[in-house]
Amino acid sequence: MIRDSLRLRLMAGAAIAVALALALAWAVMTWLFTGHIERRVQEDLTTQARPLLAELQLIREVPALATEPSDPRFGVPASGLYWQASTAKGRIRSVSLWDAVLPAAPDAPADAWRIRRAAGPFGQRLMLAERKVRLQPDEPAITVQLGYDLARLAPAQREFGRVMGVFLALLWVTLSLAAWIQVALGLRPLAQVRRDLERLRRDASARLSGPYPREMLPLTQAIDALADARESDLVRARRRAADLAHGLKTPLAALAAQSARAREAGAGLAADGLESAIAAVRAAVDGELVRTRIGLVHEGRSTAAVPVLERLIAVLERTEAGEDIVFSVDCEDDVMLPLAGDDAAELLGPLLENATSHARRQVAISARSEPGILIMTIGDDGPGLEAEVRDTAVLRGERIDSAGGGYGLGLAIAREVAEATLGELVLGQSQLGGLEVQLRWTSAA
Amino acid sequence: MRALVVEDDPAVAAILVRGLAAAGFIADHAGDGQQAWFNGDVEDYDIAIVDLGLPRLDGLSVIRRWREAGRAFPILILSARGDWTDKVTGIEAGADDYLAKPWEMGELIARVRGLVRRASGRASSTLRAGKLVIDTHRMSATLDGAPVRLSPLEYRLLDYLAHNLQRAVSAGELADHLYGDADASDANAIEALIARLRRKLGPETIVTRRGFGYLLPVEER
Repeated sequence: MIRDSLRLRLMAGAAIAVALALALAWAVMTWLFTGHIERRVQEDLTTQARPLLAELQLIREVPALATEPSDPRFGVPASGLYWQASTAKGRIRSVSLWDAVLPAAPDAPADAWRIRRAAGPFGQRLMLAERKVRLQPDEPAITVQLGYDLARLAPAQREFGRVMGVFLALLWVTLSLAAWIQVALGLRPLAQVRRDLERLRRDASARLSGPYPREMLPLTQAIDALADARESDLVRARRRAADLAHGLKTPLAALAAQSARAREAGAGLAADGLESAIAAVRAAVDGELVRTRIGLVHEGRSTAAVPVLERLIAVLERTEAGEDIVFSVDCEDDVMLPLAGDDAAELLGPLLENATSHARRQVAISARSEPGILIMTIGDDGPGLEAEVRDTAVLRGERIDSAGGGYGLGLAIAREVAEATLGELVLGQSQLGGLEVQLRWTSAA
Repeated sequence: MRALVVEDDPAVAAILVRGLAAAGFIADHAGDGQQAWFNGDVEDYDIAIVDLGLPRLDGLSVIRRWREAGRAFPILILSARGDWTDKVTGIEAGADDYLAKPWEMGELIARVRGLVRRASGRASSTLRAGKLVIDTHRMSATLDGAPVRLSPLEYRLLDYLAHNLQRAVSAGELADHLYGDADASDANAIEALIARLRRKLGPETIVTRRGFGYLLPVEER
């Protein structure tokens, strides 16, 4: 699962790296702490030695103390704190040593304290501070030793390690959370790229909008360059398809005229066949023209509804079918369609033309914009469509040029344009009695 | 009746000329935009049929130049470009109707005759009702001197009201005049038409006299 997720990989990497760093920090800090307390012990031993040296004397070359050191641990057997003074003739030692002795130190220095570790009595591992002192130049040197049981340091070391471990574990959790936030923030531009690419998939003219971090610019610029190339290809393909379609229309017109002449000359059967073929080619050509246009429907654009409607109505009012039709527009001036102007004309034009050709007297257009939804309806007072015919007139996937009924082509074109702009087209019965076409765009208001 | 066929494809132009001749028109042919503009500017035609994709000067520019020069004959655009955007652009350039290729000759002749009928028989006179001036020759109207875009139906209603100044005309009478075969349900259509005209001309241009009908007031209110 981690292999599939960049987020998890980054998170796991960060967590492991932080854990290793903190483990290393724990080891180093524990080592430093141990060194620190051992230095304290050394200092303590040399401090303890000072009164010992002050009280030291030689009686017949045997060391003796005028007064015992005051630290009570020297008086408790195996307490872990020991002293011993020795010459070749004899030695004195703390009660804590009982009947044991500290390891011999024949090579102890005379000018400073030497610190070393050695095995001591009672199975203890001792830290020893030792040196030789000479009370008078003509007297033999006395070897003075103080010892401390290193095992007495272990509880402090363990406690330090435990507390430090808990603290570093909390630090690991905190740093892992910080890494998670960092990864989330770092990956956020990728989510924006995903949204932009989704928009680009639907709208060839869209581009990666950003703003993107500088590090992502090479990627976004490469994608935009790819989108430019794709749009150019689409435009070229559309132009070629449109040129081909338009190029076919003029010969079709000539063929239609030939067909009419053939009919006038009495060749009705031949004219029927010719006209049927011309109608099929014309439908295919119109369908292809619409498909090429739908392929380039732009997203994220908007157009004021009323001017588009009025311009289309001005065209229809001049047609034979439209010259006696009353067009009523019930739409506030600020209603915006979620389409570019040309796309709005291609969507609404066929619907208004359909309504006009089937209306008896009136075509009513209304649009209302509510929070989250824009609804436009086009109704006429014509004969309308039966409910079952309405269901099939705009079937999804139905070929544009084969959608049924006199309404079919225009409705199918409009449906495809509406869906290309994330809208939907629904048929119903108009209050005027005829067909009502309702267009809805959610989140477009 | 004289018609000007503006079409760069000789085969299509020949079909058009032949079809128009069969329908009783004397048709001239212009094969490019410059020739078309010149012909339309100096000759009196009853109608022009114009293709949009023309060499030397495109069809839309030809139409605009004619209209700017005051040439008022009806124009039918005949083009392979069937997009609604193209239709709107054509009508706004000054054309009167639009037919996409391939066309049926019968439909084309019917549209040509309709356009010629609408344009013919226009008496050269103006009717005035307050700020509203109706030009019955051009079948157009101005409000306070500004031209108002009217559909044929809207024009016919205004024209009828203007011919019956100060008389309230009932919705039924208007429907009879506009549709000929009106029935009771057409009162709704008349109401919608009046509402649409009021949006274009202002709410006080057409007055409702309750119980009697609609009238154009002579005096400014």
